[in-house]
Amino acid sequence: MNIDDYKELKKGGMMRQKEAGRFSVRLHIVGGDLSAEQLRAICDAAEKFGRGTVHLTARQGVEIPNVPTESLAAVKEFLGTTGVGVGVCGPTVRTVTACQGCRVCPSGVIDAPELALAVDREFYGQPVPHKFKVGISGCANNCLKAEENDIGIKGWIEPRWGGKACTFCGICAAVCPSKAIEVSPDQAVVSVSLAGCIGCGDCIESCPTRAMGEGNRGYRLYAGGKFGRVPLLGRKILRILCSPEEVMAAVRSVIEFYRAEGRSRERFGDTLMRTGFDALESRIAVRTGGAP
Amino acid sequence: MTPTLDITKDVCPMTFVKVKMGLGKIPPAGKLTVLLAEDALKDVISSLKQEGHRVSGVSRQESAFLIVVEKEGERP
Repeated sequence: MNIDDYKELKKGGMMRQKEAGRFSVRLHIVGGDLSAEQLRAICDAAEKFGRGTVHLTARQGVEIPNVPTESLAAVKEFLGTTGVGVGVCGPTVRTVTACQGCRVCPSGVIDAPELALAVDREFYGQPVPHKFKVGISGCANNCLKAEENDIGIKGWIEPRWGGKACTFCGICAAVCPSKAIEVSPDQAVVSVSLAGCIGCGDCIESCPTRAMGEGNRGYRLYAGGKFGRVPLLGRKILRILCSPEEVMAAVRSVIEFYRAEGRSRERFGDTLMRTGFDALESRIAVRTGGAP
Repeated sequence: MTPTLDITKDVCPMTFVKVKMGLGKIPPAGKLTVLLAEDALKDVISSLKQEGHRVSGVSRQESAFLIVVEKEGERP
């Protein structure tokens, strides 16, 4: 092995295979987005340095398997010209996953790919106590499974009922998937339980008179989720955040908290089981100036 | 008399298509009554609103909903 290949190996992202002297080269991809030019370069690299196959990972990543040790530096250089970098492994912030968000999907509430790029720019490959994953779903349909991630983010619309135009027809209550709305025509009141609301906005879309309108629209954060051998679902934290800047400040605080409290090789969810979620929320509130 | 369209046995996108076709047969500002299942409420009403129509009446019919749609535009 020459010194350049050895250096690449030490940086990570080259997964040692069962077959001696072969590596699966993990690529740096954000939110599953690749240009056609990048895809072509990945195909070329797979043929030139691997055995002509690529592997699509569980979290929107791509790996080129079967690359021999002596080609590790060369494959990196080859792909680098198209802006495709080599990925990471070990105790670091991993691939940020995202759906296509509000610019493409009719259901999208937030610009998930843009936020994924921002999180990636600041945190990708940064050291943390154990692997750390961020996943972003553009809306409550949650295609990107926010709760499976160490930090999950969901687009969220919170309804607000304005009585004047309401005819108490009951459609909002009928369409609410979490049964968080109660219509009382006798008292001329519609009550929305925000604790039960899942932020889908169906009640707003369905309201014939627009009496059910938008209260808050923004980002919901979940913390402590993971899969693997012992899965944990992330739990909702903080209030609805209203801007990407607020989200970035919260993500920064969560990672600072994990660095301070997490033990080596302890997943974030397990750290939170030890410290309690309140400890995390009060730390973030202090850092970001926002009440949980 | 207001025509009534029963789409309780249809699923998306036919619910939406049938309402659109139903509205195509009536004049601007005319009324169409639609009987639809709970599952279809969101998609049908949101698309009607998007296209400028108005839902002017809602009533329950056992497990379904009866809505009165006023087609967009000025009376001819």
